[in-house]
Order: sequence, then C-alpha cells, then structure tokens
Amino acid sequence: MIIAIGNDHIVTDVKINISNFLKEQGHEVIDVGAYDTSRTHYPIYGKKVGELVSNKTADRGIVLCGTGVGITVAANKNEGVRAALVSNAAITKYVTEELNANVIGFGGTTVGKFLAEDIVSVFLNTEYKETAENKKLIEKIDNLAPKNADQNNNPDFFKKELDLWDEGYYHD
Amino acid sequence: MKIALGSDKKGFELKEIIKNYLQEQKYTVIDTTEEAAEDFIESSKLVSTAVLEGQADRGIMFDEFGAGSFMASNKIKGMITANVTEERTAHMTTEHNGAKAIAIGAGIVGPSLAKSIVDSYLEIEYAGGRHQVRVDMLEKMI
Repeated sequence: MIIAIGNDHIVTDVKINISNFLKEQGHEVIDVGAYDTSRTHYPIYGKKVGELVSNKTADRGIVLCGTGVGITVAANKNEGVRAALVSNAAITKYVTEELNANVIGFGGTTVGKFLAEDIVSVFLNTEYKETAENKKLIEKIDNLAPKNADQNNNPDFFKKELDLWDEGYYHD
Repeated sequence: MKIALGSDKKGFELKEIIKNYLQEQKYTVIDTTEEAAEDFIESSKLVSTAVLEGQADRGIMFDEFGAGSFMASNKIKGMITANVTEERTAHMTTEHNGAKAIAIGAGIVGPSLAKSIVDSYLEIEYAGGRHQVRVDMLEKMI
C-alpha cells in the first residue's frame, strides 16, 4: 500500500521509526514532514496527509503529534477523509472495519513503540466490512462537513495565519 | 462551568454515571440526551451545537469506542473534539488544543478511569499563546 505520513516537530523521531517500520513491511511511504524538530504547526501536515488520501495519491494515512489530537482533527477536516484518533488495537480495528477509516493518528509521546507498531499493523491489515447499518453511518458522517472549496489542495490556505505568526502576533 | 453531555445507546450508562459525578461537584450539566440518541452522530451533533452556540463551556460525548463521536463532531465547522482513553491526553488537549469536547468510549474506558479523565479535562485551562495559531488553522478548515 501507499501510506502518507505526517507529524509535527515534537515527534519527528517517532515518525521516522514508523516510516522505517512501514518500509520493512513492504509499503511505499510518502512523508509530508515535518522533517526536523524546528517549531511548526500540526494542521499543515494533517491537511497534507488528508489531501493525499482524499485525492487517492495514497491509500491510507498515518499522522502523529504529541497526543495525536491536533493533527488527527486536522486530517479529519478534509473532504472524504475519515480520521480516527486511536490508542489501542481495539479502537483501530473498529474504525477500520466499521467506519472505513482512511487515516489514523496517535500520540507520539503517549503511545510507546511496540503498541504503535501493533496499531499500525492492525490498521493496514484490516479491511472495511460493509453493512447496511455502517454504510448509513459513514454517509451521515461524510455529509456533516460543509463544502470548503477554497481549502482543497490549496497550499496557501494557511497563509494568513503563517504571516501573522511570522509577524509575532501569536506569542506565549 | 456548564458541561454538555450526550450519548448514543452504547454510551448511555456511562453518561449517566458521569452526569451524577459532575452534579455532585460544582458543575452545571446540560444533558442533551435525556434518552439515548439514535446514533453517535446525532449525540455528538447535539453536544457540538451546545458548545459552539455557547450554551455550554465544554462537552463530553459518549459512545462505544469514542472514535465515532470524534470523527463525526470534527466534521462540524469550528469543532475540536478529542477522544481520550487516559488522563494525560485529556489534560494536554485542553491546554494545547483548547478542546471544545472530549469523547469517551464506554466499551473501552471503565467508570473509574472515565471520572479521572473528566477531572483532568475540566481542571485545566486552555493556554492560548503560540497554540492559538494552530487552533485558528483548525477552525478555518471544514
């Protein structure tokens, strides 16, 4: 499978481990970054992974940040993406089998190496099992999202926020 | 603080436990599902609406795995929900993501852990600052 992976600067090392694990299993990896530990913003990478899955460049996506929450929310906020934040194999199996999840995310600082590899294996070795009931749920989920034509495949979508960041508008 | 709660059938019993737990404390509970919603999409929509429209300060969603409520509610413009299975993520997602709701899977998290997660979620404030650029980005998306 072709797997898109993305992360923020907090867990780049974990991402590299997952990338290596995927390659060892024979998968092709598209790594959208971040590539180092310089401070950056998780929505950028969640959006990139979401778009690669949405436009079918990648079969599935995996996203990581500190807790996994922010980047998985960002990935889910793309048309055609059903992203799930997971912390064990049981949730991973459920979202893939029942909700046809095409992106999973987890916390690079909260989930350890062995469990992370198990989660990734379950995600990639599980197929969606369509039933009339879960198909209806999936359609309902997909229809919740408003259309956001300006967002899709727009590399400048966050320009305003990034410019404000550079100007020092956002500070602790 | 006003807390909106909502659940489908599978999360209902845990929702009732947390409802009692919160009412014993300083919180005002807004129960959006006195009877269980038809599915987790309906219950997570009710909680999201209560938070986004300002009737509640934060929300807690209950279903079997937590993941369905996460997926559905985060499709709603402006919504940021974290599904959590331990306390640390509940704490961090409030502090860093300004999570407007958390989702708890009653089939995954037992009552004692659920109470502890809720404590961690409600005891901390959003930090803002550098985190706000990321929240602004999320709120700009779908």
